[in-house]
Amino acid sequence: MSATEPPVTCVAPAAAIRHATKERRAAWILTAPALSLMVVILLAPVVIAGLLSFTNYSLGNGSFDWVGIHNYEKLFTRSTYEKMFIATLTYVVTVVPISVGLGLGAALLINSLGRFREFYKTIYFLPVMATLLAMAIAWEFMLHPSIGMINRTLEMGCGTVLERIWPFMANSCAERFPLWLGDKRYAIWVVCFIGIWQGFGFNMVLYLAGLTSVHRELYHAAEMDGVRSAWERFRLVTWPALGPTTVFVVTITCIRAFQVFDTIEAFWPQGGGPNKSTYVMMFAIFEKGVQQNLIGIGSAITMLFLAFVMFLTLIQRWLVERKVHY
Amino acid sequence: MAELSIENIAKRFGETEVLKGISIDISDGEFVSLVGPSGCGKSTLLRIIAGLEEQSSGDIRISGQSVAGQRAADRNLSMVFQSYALYPHLSVGENIAVPLKMRRMTGLQRLPLLGNIMPGAREARGTIEQDVSHAAQILEIGHLLDRKPGQLSGGQRQRVALGRALVRNPAAFLLDEPLSNLDAKLRVQTRAEIAQLHRQLDATFIYVTHDQVEAMTMSDRIAVMMGGRILQCAAPDVVYEDPDRIEVAEFIGSPKINILPVEVSGEGRLSLLDQPLNLAVPGANRGVASLGLRPEALRLSGEGAPIHGHVVHSENLGSELYVQVEVTGLEEQVTLRTMPDRRSALTLGTPVALDFDAAKALVFDADGARLRKLRNLSATTSEVA
Repeated sequence: MSATEPPVTCVAPAAAIRHATKERRAAWILTAPALSLMVVILLAPVVIAGLLSFTNYSLGNGSFDWVGIHNYEKLFTRSTYEKMFIATLTYVVTVVPISVGLGLGAALLINSLGRFREFYKTIYFLPVMATLLAMAIAWEFMLHPSIGMINRTLEMGCGTVLERIWPFMANSCAERFPLWLGDKRYAIWVVCFIGIWQGFGFNMVLYLAGLTSVHRELYHAAEMDGVRSAWERFRLVTWPALGPTTVFVVTITCIRAFQVFDTIEAFWPQGGGPNKSTYVMMFAIFEKGVQQNLIGIGSAITMLFLAFVMFLTLIQRWLVERKVHY
Repeated sequence: MAELSIENIAKRFGETEVLKGISIDISDGEFVSLVGPSGCGKSTLLRIIAGLEEQSSGDIRISGQSVAGQRAADRNLSMVFQSYALYPHLSVGENIAVPLKMRRMTGLQRLPLLGNIMPGAREARGTIEQDVSHAAQILEIGHLLDRKPGQLSGGQRQRVALGRALVRNPAAFLLDEPLSNLDAKLRVQTRAEIAQLHRQLDATFIYVTHDQVEAMTMSDRIAVMMGGRILQCAAPDVVYEDPDRIEVAEFIGSPKINILPVEVSGEGRLSLLDQPLNLAVPGANRGVASLGLRPEALRLSGEGAPIHGHVVHSENLGSELYVQVEVTGLEEQVTLRTMPDRRSALTLGTPVALDFDAAKALVFDADGARLRKLRNLSATTSEVA
């Protein structure tokens, strides 16, 4: 604005400033409750856990010593924690892609249905709604090595053609069927299977919601443009449109996979499965921090856990902003 | 480029009959508009022509070949959608290239990374790029090729949608209300551009719109559709000046045609508000009929004029003045077109007397069909049309 032109506002400057200060104060007063709650119940615990991870504190003790990075050192040197990382990563790397893929597949199939939509939706969503702890007990019965439904069913395959074409079957029939929950070769995969079974219904629901936002005219445009196969249609229209949903689904599934706990607690309450093959992070936090009252090391694992989840969330933000927003 | 012939197309959704036997022949290079109110079935007809929807009965021929049972992808028609339906994740250039890629490249050649090393992929991509830039040049969107649709304005998106349609030289262009998402000014501009594009490409265009102005200004022929039927299919000026039915007369023209209730007495003589007019329809049945008068057919007059009333509203468009007149004895108001310089004489409440040009009067019988044998009793006998 040039000097000759008067400012457009009609309020006298002093009054305007006073008004602005007042407004600012009111704004702070109004946000204060939310802000203090956020600090007290969200930020403070994280900071405290972060501080505790550098101590040897135990609940009930009057004092503690600072131990520096000793707790973290343990995490990266002891074989127990190596097993913890292996179990957690195996679980995440298996469960995330499969449950996302199955969720997408189920959503696409259900979306193409005319009737029975609600029926299938409910069925696939049932495991999500059920308590995993209770379901784990049901699974425990089914997986019982001698009286369990799964081994009983597999035994029926003995003496049939299956024995000839499937080495697992041949071996099992000759010796015995696996102790699903007691064998370190199978334990983690059983947990993965249950995780997928329980989780993909949730992804399906998210994808179904995502599919409603795909513009119908785009399919018609694709048809006019010469797209003939369902696969091409999926690649050209559906998959790009589901980009934001996919990023969200993958992040949520990752975080949920890192948080797996109930199944392991139900199957092996005494500690992480055969030879610690299912000793996942959440269980380690529980065992160290709660059962053994080693708050320091428990906090250190928690911080690491938080770092993983934070990293995933940041990747999600970046992807959403850069790649999938058109 | 090709001619299209639509033969007795009917379409039912369950019990509802949306199209009731539509037949229309469209010659090569013609611009035909399907115009009608919402729900008249015009979009359904276009989608049936495109192959996106299947007709219940009837046939469509493109260049003489029936396309019954052929899916949309195989019909070699292009369509511009109301929402433009651009692929949001692809750049403008890639959007325009999609129809060419789908037709000229194999599934393997289209694969994201592997596609580049497939034999023939490089040459195919080269020619596609050339065609895309040629299309972009026609529509003057060359500078937008690297942008995503989300970064474009409505008008630019519309051009991209047109580009995607014209890039592969289809047998005909199908346009489904392509201007309805543009603002008023841009719509007028784009209207002219589409008409120019039609002349430039010399291609067959089928254009669906509910806006009669668009249909009037762009088309070689207008098909006025209502209730699943084509009421009249003719050149814009014919549809305007010589409508077959009252619905057509009412739909085409803005402001709307004035419809006055008239009485047919003995010898077909018409009377308006119990006042005999100097008009007769020989051979017409006694009873009620409708007299249609376009706003420009009315003129201000003095004593002895058949219509009397007073001004209730006026709209000055700058180049012309539309005056709403409340006519004594009539429920509906009558619109009159006149010159803006008369404005001072036509203030609100001014009593006016209106006369009309008998040669421009349109008379419809009680069913809405046009009565063409008009006789002007005041002067020489005139036969309209």
